[in-house]
This record gives sequence, C-alpha cells and structure tokens, in this order.
Amino acid sequence: MLYDLRRADVRVKWLVTGLLATLGLSYVFGAAMVALYAGFTPQSVAATYAGTEMSMPMPPETTMVVQRPMSMADFAGPEVHTVDTKLLIQDTHVHVPMYGLIAAALGVVVVGLSLPRRRALGLIALLFAAPWLDFAGMWLTKLVSPRFAIVTIAAGWAMGVAYLIVAALAIHQMWLSPERG
Amino acid sequence: MNFLIRAVAIAALLHITPIVVLVKRPDAVQALLPGADAYVAREVHLSGTDAHRLHQAVDWSPEDGVLVFYGGTAGSTSVGALEFVRVDTPHGPIEVAVGFTPQGAVRGVVVTKATVEMKPWVLEAVAAGLTDHYRGLKPGEVPGGAAGIAGRAGNLAVYVAGEVDKGVARALAAYGAFYNHVRA
Repeated sequence: MLYDLRRADVRVKWLVTGLLATLGLSYVFGAAMVALYAGFTPQSVAATYAGTEMSMPMPPETTMVVQRPMSMADFAGPEVHTVDTKLLIQDTHVHVPMYGLIAAALGVVVVGLSLPRRRALGLIALLFAAPWLDFAGMWLTKLVSPRFAIVTIAAGWAMGVAYLIVAALAIHQMWLSPERG
Repeated sequence: MNFLIRAVAIAALLHITPIVVLVKRPDAVQALLPGADAYVAREVHLSGTDAHRLHQAVDWSPEDGVLVFYGGTAGSTSVGALEFVRVDTPHGPIEVAVGFTPQGAVRGVVVTKATVEMKPWVLEAVAAGLTDHYRGLKPGEVPGGAAGIAGRAGNLAVYVAGEVDKGVARALAAYGAFYNHVRA
C-alpha cells in the first residue's frame, strides 16, 4: 500500500503526531467540560437533557400557579445545566459536523496503519458510530426516556477509547515499531 | 483539501463557547429585591392558549411552558418580584434578571450569564450604561437599551444590548400578563 505511516516521510509522521496531540488536548478539555456541565453519571446526564419536559409534556388546560417558599440558599444552590430542545438542535447542528471531521481525520490515520482490513474497518466504524450514538442518546433521553442517558455516556467513552486506540497504534507504528522506515 | 480546511474553519466559527456566570443569582436577587428577608417562587404553568398569546406578543415561549417569578418580602411588606429570562442567540444563550418594584415598574436589570465569547460585549454594554435605560419601564413599554448605548459602545456591545432588550421585553410581557392575574 502506498500510504503506510510506518514508512512515511518524517514530515507526514510529524504532521500526524501534531494532529493526534492537538485532538488529545481537545478531548481532555472536552471531558472537563462534560464534567462541568453534564457530569458522567446517568442521573446527571438525564437531568441535563431530559429536564422537566418528561414530567409535564402537555400544557395544562388552564394556566395554573404553584407557589413555594424559597430561601437565599436555594438561589445559591448548584444549578443543573439543562439543554432544552432548541439548544439541543443548535448543539447538534454545530457539533455533528465537527465530530464528523474529527472522525474523518482519525480515519485517515487509521488507513495509514498496518492493520488487518477488518480491524481497520471496525475502527473507522467506531470513530463515526460513537458521535452518532452520543447525539442519538441525547435526543432519546429528551424525547423517549431518561434511561437513554446511558447511551450518551457509553458513546462518550467510546469516542475517547477510539481516539486512544488510534493514537497508541499510530505513535507505536510511526516512532517505536522496529519495522518503521 | 481546500474544502476540508474551509469546513473546519466554518465549524470552528459556529462552535458555541461555554456559559459563564457574570453575576451569581443570590447577588442578583439581593440587588433586585433589596431588603427582602423572605422569598417565594411563583411558578405559572401556562395553558396552550396563554403560551400562544405570550409567543405572539414577544416571539418567545418559556422553557417547558413555565414562567417562574420570585417574590420578595421584608416582614409583611412586598419589595417586588424578579424573573430570570434566557435569550438564545446565534452565539449561545444569555440570562437576564429583571426586577420589578411592587408598583410593577422595572427596578433594575442584571445580566447574570453569557457565553465566554459574549462576556466582553456584555461588560462593555453594561459599562456604557445599558441597564440604566430599563429603569422605570412598565409592561407595554418597549425597552431601548441598544438604542440608548449606540454611539457610546462598539457594534458587538450594541448587538448584545439588543439581545438584552429582548430578555427585558419578555420579562415585561410575562410580568404584565401573568404575575398578578393568575390565582395561586
């Protein structure tokens, strides 16, 4: 095969290393952002995406008022970051193209790895499937059941694991393998 | 390759930056309901008809169809009410706290949240006196904060002031129609 990262020009290896390092940095801060805004437990993810829409999907027949006392501590309490339908539409619109480009960039790295064809196909499938499932989980959590939060969590981990597999194989084959050119 | 670079640039430009807290909610509550020592949350669950009426008036539907007003009292005397209103912009959401006097006029406005990108625009708009333009407004009146700071602030600050205007207009419409007119 013409494109083999083990025997690629050092400039190509350096480019791929830079790409992987940059994506790795963005993944680390992506995880930190998830920790800040949605959390890593099914309960916190469900609270972020399902919100209260699941509990009251239909408006009442007549406008009604519910009053409850508040203390200043209630105002200071930790706020649950919620993503309503409009914001999720916006998030999906801006994140999915970026995820696609990241998956494509990592997929190009996979194509240059020395891997059995099936494993390479599986890895590329995982790179694209994980973000699809990530957003599918968010939408299913919002529209169907908070139980689907687990899909988003699993897909988020899958994105991280897929990146780590690609990065570890690429770094090993480019810079450490005895067969490298 | 050219397409790929352009697509990456467009995706990066469209990426919404995280939300930051500009003023903590308790601080906004103390500023907008001064002297209050007890608070009550008044959740107004809108019927389909009322939600539609509000949407027609200010092109807005509150999250989950629920308006939340916070009333404050000092002893047995009301010191007013406030609302937190979110405005979704192409640059992400901002949150505006709008406080009302017991007589129903705007006591003050505080921008409590914005995205990292919009934060400097908000700070510039507020420094240019944006929130002064809302004091005394009553339901039915039109907020003119953006027009008020035009010429004294940059284009982006004026732009974000227009978004704050929307939040204040929504709060005025909601307060005027639903705060005192629906029985608990």
